[in-house]
Amino acid sequence: MNQNAFDESRGALAGELVDDWRSLPEGEPAAVRALAEEQERGSEGWIVLRSLVFFLLILAAFALGLNGLITLGLWHIKTGQYGVSNRMIRGEINAQIVINGSSRALSGFDPRIIQATTGLTAYNIGRNGSQTDMQLAVLKTYLEHNRKPEIVIQSLDSFSFEATREVYNPAQYVPYLYDRELWTPLRRINPGIWKSRYVPLYGYVVDDMSMSWVLGLGELVGWSQREDYFLGFNPRPLKWTDEFKSFRAANPNGVDWPIDEEGKQSLEELIQVCRAHEVKLIFVYAPEYSEMQKLTRNRSEVFRDLHDLSERYSVPLWDYSDWRYSAETKYFQNSQHLNEEGAQVFSEDLSNRLQGFISANPFQSNGLQVRAIADDRGVETNLAKR
Amino acid sequence: MLFNSIEFAIFFPIVVALFYILPQRWRVHLLLGASCIFYMAFIPAYIAILFVTILIDYVAGIYIERSEGKRKKALLLVSIVSTCTVLAVFKYMNFLTSSFSGLAGLFGWHLSNAAVNIILPVGLSFHTFQSLSYVVEVYRGNQKAERNFVVYATYVMFFPQLVAGPIERPQNLLHQFREWHRVNYVNITSGLKRMAWGFFKKLVVADRLALYVNDVYGSPRSHNGLQLSIGTLFFAYQIYCDFSGYSDIAIGAAQVLGFKLMENFRTPYHSLSVSEFWRRWHISLSTWFKDYVYIPLGGRRVGPVRYAINILITFGISGLWHGASWTYVWWGLLNGVYLVTGWLTKEWRDRFFGSIGLGEETVMRKGMMWASTFLLTCVAWIVFRAKSLKDAWYVFSHLLQGWNIHQIKTEQFFLRQLPIAFAAILILEACQLWIQNRDSATSTFAKLPLPGRLAAYAALVLLVVMFGIYRKTQFIYFQF
Repeated sequence: MNQNAFDESRGALAGELVDDWRSLPEGEPAAVRALAEEQERGSEGWIVLRSLVFFLLILAAFALGLNGLITLGLWHIKTGQYGVSNRMIRGEINAQIVINGSSRALSGFDPRIIQATTGLTAYNIGRNGSQTDMQLAVLKTYLEHNRKPEIVIQSLDSFSFEATREVYNPAQYVPYLYDRELWTPLRRINPGIWKSRYVPLYGYVVDDMSMSWVLGLGELVGWSQREDYFLGFNPRPLKWTDEFKSFRAANPNGVDWPIDEEGKQSLEELIQVCRAHEVKLIFVYAPEYSEMQKLTRNRSEVFRDLHDLSERYSVPLWDYSDWRYSAETKYFQNSQHLNEEGAQVFSEDLSNRLQGFISANPFQSNGLQVRAIADDRGVETNLAKR
Repeated sequence: MLFNSIEFAIFFPIVVALFYILPQRWRVHLLLGASCIFYMAFIPAYIAILFVTILIDYVAGIYIERSEGKRKKALLLVSIVSTCTVLAVFKYMNFLTSSFSGLAGLFGWHLSNAAVNIILPVGLSFHTFQSLSYVVEVYRGNQKAERNFVVYATYVMFFPQLVAGPIERPQNLLHQFREWHRVNYVNITSGLKRMAWGFFKKLVVADRLALYVNDVYGSPRSHNGLQLSIGTLFFAYQIYCDFSGYSDIAIGAAQVLGFKLMENFRTPYHSLSVSEFWRRWHISLSTWFKDYVYIPLGGRRVGPVRYAINILITFGISGLWHGASWTYVWWGLLNGVYLVTGWLTKEWRDRFFGSIGLGEETVMRKGMMWASTFLLTCVAWIVFRAKSLKDAWYVFSHLLQGWNIHQIKTEQFFLRQLPIAFAAILILEACQLWIQNRDSATSTFAKLPLPGRLAAYAALVLLVVMFGIYRKTQFIYFQF
């Protein structure tokens, strides 16, 4: 029957109740059947609604539980990038020399060599895919939870003045979004990051291409990734590829790196933070493949601004653009990153220079008593007693 | 609005709830409004184009029904030409001008190729064809002209199938907008399960495989034969899962609202011949071309040469429908060649198999037929996916060269994704076989008490969520 006829007959039968329309004898008015059918539909609607609500509640409970387990597992990881982050958040690093920066820092500066040469504890908190604003956030987080270092080595890049447009691998921060120093800049860069914090599984599933949740759950059942971070340093045992050749072919006229105002402000703020904590800051421009330097059209502008900051705030700037092996692909994985062998040679050069710097600029407190770190696996950290 | 978006996750429950709350006389208006919102989430201004095509065919349908003889035919032609003109302008303008320039160049004429920067309205090909089938069916007397503009507009714009099909026929869909759809537990739960299955295909399988395919086909010359082969296999499943996944979500969403849409895929990769493949792949489009192109050309009721030409024309146009590029045309023609060759060699093949003792029902014969059909389909997909014919030839000619098991991953596709990708394909195939025998499987599930069933469903949904890939990827067929 159509809806209009139903409405009319329904009005006529207002107040009449039918328990079971099936028991109606043949010939009963169709409207009575329709009314009873609607009552049954009403109850079917409630069945559907109730089932959906139960389903969503169960789903939410599963999601919350799983999210909690993954986060718990990631907090307990001792290896890899999460291992470094966990040690930083728990205040277990407390190094005297901290290396900060992008992937060029992470894969180019070996703290073990720096330690061995200078006798001071060292740690690398570099982050893949990060710009200065995120590097500042990581440094602030480090300083929030760890004893302040004596020296911060800030690794610079041609893109140091580029503001972050999109956070690289946001899943690496998801277990720590409660941390104010990380949350604030992340929120500014990506306002949608609240979903990663408050919607269960969102951060581990939607924003994470590397399925880090597997690492978290694996940790809970006793499986850990092989360690490839050494005092925070992540070497790249890779050979030079044809990637640069393809890049040069695609960009025959060179490239320009952005110089954003926010990027400049981030670097200035980093300088201020180090000053406020009375930490000696050293800018280091790590080696870069010489042919890539020629392809960077606005290199002189970038370096002009870097030198300007360096002079204005009296921050030493050690520029390894003319490093003696800059033209040798043997020491590079690609045009921006040293490979494991290159990092070793560069770290030795840097350490020797650092040793000279420390000798020329002794720390205020002398008579350091140093206990050497055996390795990076949760053993006693180095404590410098003043 | 994409199905795999938070916007749709909010939009859909609201529309369903309102649909069942509202009285019948307001429901079609709600669906029209919801469809407008759905469409305008892409590029709002393009709803004007949709409105124009709807108006043209709505008016044309009424006048065609009232007319007779030459006037009736003329009105049909006007409707078809004007609808197709919109499609041609937005979809084929650059293709036509660049092809014309290329042709002129062969004669030594140099024409400036001013490319017009026109963005293709999403789903234009789909709702154009749906409108065309309406006017043709009215012309043929198989469908009464729809007098209610709101109902007709909703028929064209019905959001579950608006942007990527299935391409519905008016006889199937139009009347459903006038029917009373009651809340039905089975419809709603089945619809939701169908949607979940579609999301598994899209998020877990298609979007994961896309990471590999995009790298390989983006620069085929940077990849070895093993990567090209895996990339081709992955693309076969990517396009199937992307498109059939969308269809599943569309059919499921419509089912939740109590509407029944036509099936669009029937496990096409289980086909034993190319002709069977085309009866199982994108069924709504292939039947559309059969009814409105192939049969009017004469179909099989002509001599063998004309029959072969009819097939090639039909598949050539089908290829062109997919995109304004010669790779699509050649893909269509290649499938046409497959069909013609299959038809020409059928008797010979039957004799050959018979001579080696392989009857029609033997497993080995079926296996060989399945393998050859799948291989031929994959070769055709190379042409479909490649950026140019040159790239397609490179891929094809290097499939078996330079295999290097140590260089299997690509730039975006981590090695740990590979076992997951293969497992996803195996699970897909296993589930498809399970669904085909679903009477026994359903009874197993049905034995659980309600909380247990709901928990099992929740766990399955969570698995899809955990293994899904969430890059902002459109469905492949949106670009058609």
